[in-house]
Amino acid sequence: MPDLARMRAERYRRLQDQLDAQGVDGLVLLGSSAVAYATGAGEPAQDGDRAALFRSVAVVAKGDSAPHVYTHYDDGLPDDLPDDHRHAPLFPDIDDGIEQFVKALADHFAPGARIGIDHQTHPVLRVLPDLDWADAADVVGAAKLTKTPDEVACIRHSQLLNELAMVDARKILRPGVRQIDLSAAFLRRVFELGASANSIDPIWQVMAPTRELGPWTVHGDLAYPTVTTDRFLREGDIIWVDAGINWQGYASDYGRTWITGTDPVPNTKQQEQFRRWRSVVDAALDILKPDVSALSLGTAAIEANDGVRPWIDHFYLAHGIGTDSAEMPLIGTDLGEEFDERQIMQPGMVAVFEPVIWDEGASGYRSEDIVAVTDSGWVKLSGSTYEPYGVEA
Amino acid sequence: MSPAPRDRGVLVGTMGLEDDARVDFARLRADRREKVLDGMERHGLDALMLGGVGNVRYVSGARQLGRAGVLPFAPVAVVVAEPARVHLLSTWDEGVPPEIGYEDLYRMNWNPANLAADLAKIPGVREARRVGTDGLTPRFAALIRQLVTTAELVDAAAVLTTARRVKTPEEITCLDVASAIAEAALTAMEDALAPGITERELLGIYDEKVASLGAPNPPSESVCFATPTSGPVMFRHLARERPVGDGELVVLAPGALYAGYEAGLARTRVAGRSGPAATPELASRCARGMDALVAACRPGNSGADLYRAWERAGNPYSSVSLAHGLGLGAEPPLIGLGRGRDVTLEEGMVLSVQSWVTEEGIGGCLERGTVHVESGGPTTMTRYRRL
Repeated sequence: MPDLARMRAERYRRLQDQLDAQGVDGLVLLGSSAVAYATGAGEPAQDGDRAALFRSVAVVAKGDSAPHVYTHYDDGLPDDLPDDHRHAPLFPDIDDGIEQFVKALADHFAPGARIGIDHQTHPVLRVLPDLDWADAADVVGAAKLTKTPDEVACIRHSQLLNELAMVDARKILRPGVRQIDLSAAFLRRVFELGASANSIDPIWQVMAPTRELGPWTVHGDLAYPTVTTDRFLREGDIIWVDAGINWQGYASDYGRTWITGTDPVPNTKQQEQFRRWRSVVDAALDILKPDVSALSLGTAAIEANDGVRPWIDHFYLAHGIGTDSAEMPLIGTDLGEEFDERQIMQPGMVAVFEPVIWDEGASGYRSEDIVAVTDSGWVKLSGSTYEPYGVEA
Repeated sequence: MSPAPRDRGVLVGTMGLEDDARVDFARLRADRREKVLDGMERHGLDALMLGGVGNVRYVSGARQLGRAGVLPFAPVAVVVAEPARVHLLSTWDEGVPPEIGYEDLYRMNWNPANLAADLAKIPGVREARRVGTDGLTPRFAALIRQLVTTAELVDAAAVLTTARRVKTPEEITCLDVASAIAEAALTAMEDALAPGITERELLGIYDEKVASLGAPNPPSESVCFATPTSGPVMFRHLARERPVGDGELVVLAPGALYAGYEAGLARTRVAGRSGPAATPELASRCARGMDALVAACRPGNSGADLYRAWERAGNPYSSVSLAHGLGLGAEPPLIGLGRGRDVTLEEGMVLSVQSWVTEEGIGGCLERGTVHVESGGPTTMTRYRRL
């Protein structure tokens, strides 16, 4: 199991190193996952506007020994956070009391300091119109790019809880079960198992046999992921499952294809899709090690799929995961080939491979394999069962 | 269209009925859009670029994937005054209402420059002179100025906060349904509460209930905490693994979202057969505080009136908010925690009002309700037996 205090200290050191390297004097963080990364402060999962109005704010000053946290959620603060770094909440989204935000900044930064911020509210912009803000994403993104062994352990555990709860959800899948019934079973179980939070409305999308029978899309490719409803699941429905829960601030990412039925058995075509999916992931994993570019991984995956790009146009072959459910590295996005060529794999990067195999007329297969890049190759963080397609692969 | 029911209770359900859907969602969206376009005209805004979950939902009516937490600003919906259209970041049409056409959708991009290029193509955006946003990032501010429009970027809150503050009849119906779902969750949690159960198990039961009722995205997972029978009593937010002790006062505080609208309530219950001897006194103090706060929720009253009502009921400064707005999630005004004394309550607002009292040696007691500020006075929309 991870050593959480050591993990927080190492993350904080990385942020300090990046502040130094990028010539930024400090950070003011308002986004949930950035606050979690910088401080280790826990807070309950909340819907967007509630999370905004009652947000925690983190202040990281260059050279300071610990982050400052302004929060409602005292019970989520790490035990080792010094008392003089714990503060009453600020409300950067409302004008009333915004002078306290100004004062908090003045407490930590000298006039003229270059401060990175991840989200600017208008009340903040009104009272600090002349501040030369940097974008905190550069500092936070660089620190988050590779994970410490403790962070990898958190992702692995988060993923384990997710997968165990999915066993219970899959058990109830029969014709007549609704998508929301699967959500109910999954969420109940995942909290019993010890999840800290649910991060995303679980997805149980029924995939039509052809693109045209699915939702209309801007790019003509598949629509995914669409939102769960009380839709009934019926015999033979192909379901692409995707769910993310959180443990100690770390995301997980469960992706599998299920078939609705009593003891469903994939037909020949479906088994072929699964094998092809496996071979696409394996083609990338075969070459994955430090110093390999994201572009080479994408190229290997495309070649293994006979030259057809095996991922959806608005997505990727793989994405990173950490305190965000999708973060760098991103492999195969619209950031383009030059970007991918410059993205070089490093030990400690975590990648979620999620290629899609599609046969127009026979629907398709999608699963997700999570790996961490090691000094010489990779280690798998997600489970290796793919029922009902393959028990072990 | 069926006649408007005399018994509004018939609207409080989630199934479509063969004579009519219960909520006229087309009218709900049209009313909201009209308020937004009126506000844009009043404030001289040519366009809005919005990223807040509630704002995006308010202007678009789209059913988008629910996520926990708040992200930095990114333009997910764009409202243009002339031609009056709502444009939406959605790669597909599922979940998008019919008044937003295919040509009004722009796709998910990972490259911010591609997103900016898509925004620049929206008719009316490039030539806009004043654009309201609900936030910025240093990067997006620069990208918008370089690639999208040279318009002055101003606060969209003058339009959105005003539009959202006063609820339409359809919005009230949605809040009624959300209230009923939250009450159902409270029943499930109350039934399960017994010494030995953990807060995390109660959270699982809560989530299971709201999901099975079709509202799988909870407004908050801060839905229960046991309070100690000795030592200082703190309001807690994160579910623990520790089993609830016999005789402890346990706060059960479920909320629910229906069509994006949030309602919630809280009640405190004793785990086991009997709580500490002075529990009834604490419960009655909690109820008095709640009654005083709710009674102050009248049109024309100010936030200061709620502070005064709370103090006159014999309570010290509250460590949690006394009241805040509800609609598409939590929203201003915020009253309590030193904020909101100057806020004026208006007819048609909906507030989450809460009374939190503690006593060392007994525990804590929370009562929370969803309160509709009506012309004749406050109506508490959530109903449940008190402690």
